[in-house]
Amino acid sequence: MLPHLDAAYRFARWLCRSSSDADDIVQEAFLRAFRGFDSLRGGDVKAWLLTIVRNCHATAVQQQQRRATVPLAGDHEEALRSVPDETSPDPESESAAAEERRTLGRLIDALPDEHREVLLLREMEDMSYREIAAVTQVPIGTVMSRLARARAALRGKWLKDTAGEPRAVR
Amino acid sequence: MQCVEVLRVQAYFDGEVDAVSALEVERHAEHCAECRALLGHLAETRARMREELEFQEAPPQLRVSIDRLLDREMRAAAEGGAPRVRPTVRWRAPPLWLGAFGGFGAALAAGLALFFMSPLASNPVLDDVVGAHVRSLMPQHLTDVISTDRHTVKPWFAGHADVSPVVADFADQGYRLIGGRADYFNQQHVAAVVYQHGAHVINVFAWVAGSRALPEYSTRSGYRIACWKLGNLQYCAISDTGWDELQGLTRLLHAAGAADAPR
Repeated sequence: MLPHLDAAYRFARWLCRSSSDADDIVQEAFLRAFRGFDSLRGGDVKAWLLTIVRNCHATAVQQQQRRATVPLAGDHEEALRSVPDETSPDPESESAAAEERRTLGRLIDALPDEHREVLLLREMEDMSYREIAAVTQVPIGTVMSRLARARAALRGKWLKDTAGEPRAVR
Repeated sequence: MQCVEVLRVQAYFDGEVDAVSALEVERHAEHCAECRALLGHLAETRARMREELEFQEAPPQLRVSIDRLLDREMRAAAEGGAPRVRPTVRWRAPPLWLGAFGGFGAALAAGLALFFMSPLASNPVLDDVVGAHVRSLMPQHLTDVISTDRHTVKPWFAGHADVSPVVADFADQGYRLIGGRADYFNQQHVAAVVYQHGAHVINVFAWVAGSRALPEYSTRSGYRIACWKLGNLQYCAISDTGWDELQGLTRLLHAAGAADAPR
């Protein structure tokens, strides 16, 4: 029995925005959790595990960036691309595969990381502010303001989306 | 212009405020159109997300490969010497790491296995439990005595129900004591202690145990129910939380009950 594996997997998928890297991150996270189990002192196991998943993801991102042998200008471009710009979508993201993704998932993917994670932990994992603060390692007040901004931004995006694309009207 | 109360309204929506604050927010929203609209938007966002996003489960092969990985790790630890042995055992054996109640954990696992293998016969008491839980979630029905202090809640029961159940506030562990309520079903007085965990309400019912045994774990109308006996009382905890969250509370109540018991 592996506790909270589904939650860890979902969180990893959302963090990487894809399923391909999520498997590796979850495996690494469980290994770290297993080795570091003594460091858990009666706290919330789920929050603790998701914190490790989040750290593993951060490490993986750092390693990818270090491994990338692109010149400085390219690095800069990469950094820019990691913050998707909704007004001028990357032609690649318009591919058939991207089209298939549900509208809402796409809008959430386009939120900044720190907004996206609090929103997903709250709405999809049903975690309390205190737990989210533990996972994202920020004060509860910051969780609250990020959550408010994430919700407002998502709503703004989907209103705009539905207005701009008649086919998406519900 | 944004209303100064938006964060509090959001906290109210997320079940993160106490009863007094909740009342204030409700009164505020009656007069503030912006906050009324906000509550609608919050509910709509949550509904859409939960409806449209996939609740994905980990693929089975990932489960298998993690199992293998940890097996290897455990073997390596066993060969490498003592330091790793304890944590590995604790991590892989849920009954031990789940808490102080090793035996309870095993019983729990067995109970769960039994529950998933055998369809449960209808049990009118559990139907009563579900009915009482649902009723309690209607406005104004949740608690008769609102308190986060167990010294207020417990004596209150003495005058209103036949039983005096274990009452404790586990706010530090994420289960906030909201209050208590006296109910009547199963042809007897029943005490209900109400806890809040995140956005969820957990009702813990207690009555004088009869001869009829209740299933340790069951699911009714989407609610999860955990039943156990402690002393001469039958306890039933019910909520729409996950099993992990519900078991978290039952473990705490067991521990509190054991500490309370006269020796």
